[in-house]
Amino acid sequence: MTNFLDAYSIQYWLESCPQGYLEQTEFGHEAGQKEPDALLSDPLLREQAIRVTCQLVSGERAALAASSGLINAAPDEASKRFLATQTLDEARHVEIFTQRLYDLGVKKDELESVLADKTNPNLAQFAEILLEKVDKKDFVSGVVGQNIVLEGMAFTVFEMLEASNKALNPKFAKILSGTIADERRHVGFGENRIGALISQHPEKKPEVEAMQRDMSYFMLATFADQFRNPEMREEIKASREKAGEEQQASWQGAKLGDMEPEELENLLADTVLGEFKQRLSRVGIDYQTPARP
Amino acid sequence: MSGSSHAAAEAGDSPGKIKETKPRRRYELDDRGFDEVPRKYRKYYRKWEGPDDELAPNEALCPVCKIVMRSVRELRDGDQLYCMACMTRVRIVSGENGRLETRVTY
Repeated sequence: MTNFLDAYSIQYWLESCPQGYLEQTEFGHEAGQKEPDALLSDPLLREQAIRVTCQLVSGERAALAASSGLINAAPDEASKRFLATQTLDEARHVEIFTQRLYDLGVKKDELESVLADKTNPNLAQFAEILLEKVDKKDFVSGVVGQNIVLEGMAFTVFEMLEASNKALNPKFAKILSGTIADERRHVGFGENRIGALISQHPEKKPEVEAMQRDMSYFMLATFADQFRNPEMREEIKASREKAGEEQQASWQGAKLGDMEPEELENLLADTVLGEFKQRLSRVGIDYQTPARP
Repeated sequence: MSGSSHAAAEAGDSPGKIKETKPRRRYELDDRGFDEVPRKYRKYYRKWEGPDDELAPNEALCPVCKIVMRSVRELRDGDQLYCMACMTRVRIVSGENGRLETRVTY
């Protein structure tokens, strides 16, 4: 394997993460930061925030299961130690997004039923494809599915959410900025590890490419359900009315405040797929275009 | 991370290159608030502000994690950099339009 992990250590993780961008945070945000009153007092906005956060918790639970499962499938000690830190990162993500659900008013004893009710079935299918590979201790497919496809999607989704919440909800934006920092390491591990490994296992390419296509389809279906939901249109309208002139969020050169839900969906989908294509091409895997739901 | 030979602190190395005729401009790096790497390396990185963010001659964008890597010297074709935020090594290359680009080295 390449020695890109030579410089990585638990000590490095400590100095970068808990002693770096997470220093003096509480559940990922600054002490005292709260969800905005405008969100908590509006049933539509609160419901939509709960729905979005449920997808984040479910996605992070899948990432936790995958990264912990991959530790014992990893063929080398350095990857095992990296995945141990990633496992803690993912567990933290599950915790901070779950805490956000509580902050939004979900009761602790209702958590599992709320998640079961609101998690998009397509997202569950997306996770199932990945976890099947992990269960088989298929390290190459597992790392591509987890650290390139799932983390690549999360990286982009979090960036878009952070940009759109910076002015409106600094608490949520701060939580997201910490998770984005974690995702940088995770996608870096994915690309660097697979970049070296796929050339040793070219026979894995067709299987990995089929997995990427299937996971991408369910990701797009999740986006479609989210953005084409009639409540989403109402939520965006209500959110813009509350924000007034403050809403100047831009991302990828686009002004998010001026866009219709279908335009937002296309921007997000095209950005994630474009990133997949580039990342996979760099490591020698042929990107497979998924069907569009 | 101490003792790493890959840090951006040592960026700008062009192993095996013929001695350059034109001297490189040097840069005094300031801390831009990037807190995702250990403290002593923070000045070598900054966050990317998006497509309108113009890079300086001593800066390169990590294609993997979209962080700007900063060198104490002007960057040139063949230089190697290390992105500590995502553990990626990149090589600087001249693009089609003459602009410097990055290529990941696995």
